[in-house]
Order: sequence, then structure tokens, then C-alpha cells
Amino acid sequence: MAGGLVSESHVAVGGHGAFMEPSPFGIQSKKLTMWLFIASDAITFGAVLFGYAYLRAGTPDWPTPFHFSPSIINGMVMTVVLLTSSLTMLGAVEAAKADNKSATLKWMGLTILLGIVFAVLHLREWFHMFGEGWSLFKNPEGGTVLFGASFFSITGLHLMHVISGVIALIVIAIGYNTDWLDKNHVETTGLYWHFVDLVWMFVFPLLYLMNATR
Amino acid sequence: MAMEQNRGIGKYVGIWFGLICIAGIEVILTYRGFSTHALLAVLFVLAIIEAGIGLAYFMHLKYESGYLVWTLIPFVVFVLLMMNQIWPDAYRVASLRLLTQ
Repeated sequence: MAGGLVSESHVAVGGHGAFMEPSPFGIQSKKLTMWLFIASDAITFGAVLFGYAYLRAGTPDWPTPFHFSPSIINGMVMTVVLLTSSLTMLGAVEAAKADNKSATLKWMGLTILLGIVFAVLHLREWFHMFGEGWSLFKNPEGGTVLFGASFFSITGLHLMHVISGVIALIVIAIGYNTDWLDKNHVETTGLYWHFVDLVWMFVFPLLYLMNATR
Repeated sequence: MAMEQNRGIGKYVGIWFGLICIAGIEVILTYRGFSTHALLAVLFVLAIIEAGIGLAYFMHLKYESGYLVWTLIPFVVFVLLMMNQIWPDAYRVASLRLLTQ
């Protein structure tokens, strides 16, 4: 080591990581990468939700098509399903930390199932609205088309995240089961899944409740 | 092992239930006759509270290094606030609509 020379035996024992500075954040690079992705994605969602909120407040003839039954009830059920999926994901992360593979896979399976249920409920809501004449550029009530544009684009962006999350969870579960991936991958994917859940905490009140028939 | 597992999940059940309760409060407030602007503000504040709880406990940010928290949160908030400078332009849409009527 003296004089800046690194012996082969040192590399063999400590690996290349022995010469790298520890992360100031105290977390693995994959987890930091996920946090940075989440920060950028939060800004994306923040931008569209802020933009929507100003449009909603600034447009006088904004439609309010969501009746308590079935739309708001459906939204509440979707909220409970997604929140519960976050809980099951926490179960997967805790089980992975305890090196309990079967429990990890069981909790991940439940999370995937709840994610699929959420997507199905979401699509059912969409098709119900299509049936009533709503679309990205159409308002069957004759007022502004901004409602359809903002509703379908924002919920569509969120639904895309849910579907991506379900696919990611399936890949991670398979990889974890075959020892190709480890518990840190489960934790990192869990972060993404919780983020998708948090975004819904804004989408539900701002896009469903704000457009409820009162 | 199983008991440890249950304890691990158990500590989050209260948070999960609390978040569902806040969502329920949002639904109740929706039908309380608030004006559009007031309801928007109230729902936005409740959503931020929910997100904060989720970030802290579900995403474990509460237990992460302070460096990580101070690297992520202020910058995200700063960018959103800066973008917020251009959104009030949306009010111009309403004004233009009135002018053309």
C-alpha cells in the first residue's frame, strides 16, 4: 500500500470496494439511484398536478361528473387497495431483511395481486367514463374539454406507474426466488411501490373528489 | 421468526389505518359545502400530510441519514415552487374566455 501501490492480495481480500469512499448517505448506490428517480418523478407529478389544480380553480365551467356512487366509492376502494398493497410490500421488505424467502415471496405475491386489482378497478372506471362519452378531447356535457384531458392524462400516467411497478415486482420476485437478486433489490423496489401509493394520495382528492357532484 | 414478522408489519398497521382515515376525512369534507378554492386548499394540505407520513414511515425516510433527507426534500420542494411561478398563467385562460364571450 505504501507509495500508492496496491497489492494484488489486498484487492483479492477487500475487493475494489475497499478503496472506495463510503457513501455520505449511508445507503447502497441502487437505493440512492431509486431515491433520485423518485425525486425526479415527484417533480413530474408535482408539475402536472399543480398545473391541473390551477386549471381546475381557474376554469368557471369545469364539469363535476363523479357521483358518490359508483365513482367516489370506487375511488375509495382503489385507495384502500393501494394503501394495503403498500402494507404488504412492507411485509415483503421486512421478511427479506429477516432472510425469510418464502414469506418475502408471499408478501410480494399479495402486493402484485393488489396492484392488478387496482389497475382493473381503474380501467373499469375509465371504460365507464368512455361509455358516458368522456375522452381526452371530448366533454359530453358540452363545456370545457380540459377535464377529460387532465383526468385521463394524469390518471393514465399514474396507472402506467402502477403497471410498471407490477411488472418490476414480478421480475424482482422471480430474481429473488432464484438468488439472482437479493433483499436490497426487494427494498429498492418497495420504495418505488410506496411512491406510486403516495402519488395516489394526491390524485384521488384532486382528480376525483374535486370533481365530485356536490 | 413468524412472530418477529408479525411485529414488523404490526407497527405499520396503525400508519396504514391512519392514512385510510385521512382519505375518509377528505371524502367527508368534499360534501361539506366548501368553495372550490377552499376545498382545493384543504385537500391539498391533507394530501401533503398523507405524503409526509408515507415518506417518513412507509419509505423509511425518518430512519435514513439526515444527509439524504436534506439532499432530496428541499430540492424537490424548491423545483416545485419555482415551477409554481408559471402555473398561475392558467387563470389567464379564464380571462381570455370572458373576453371572447
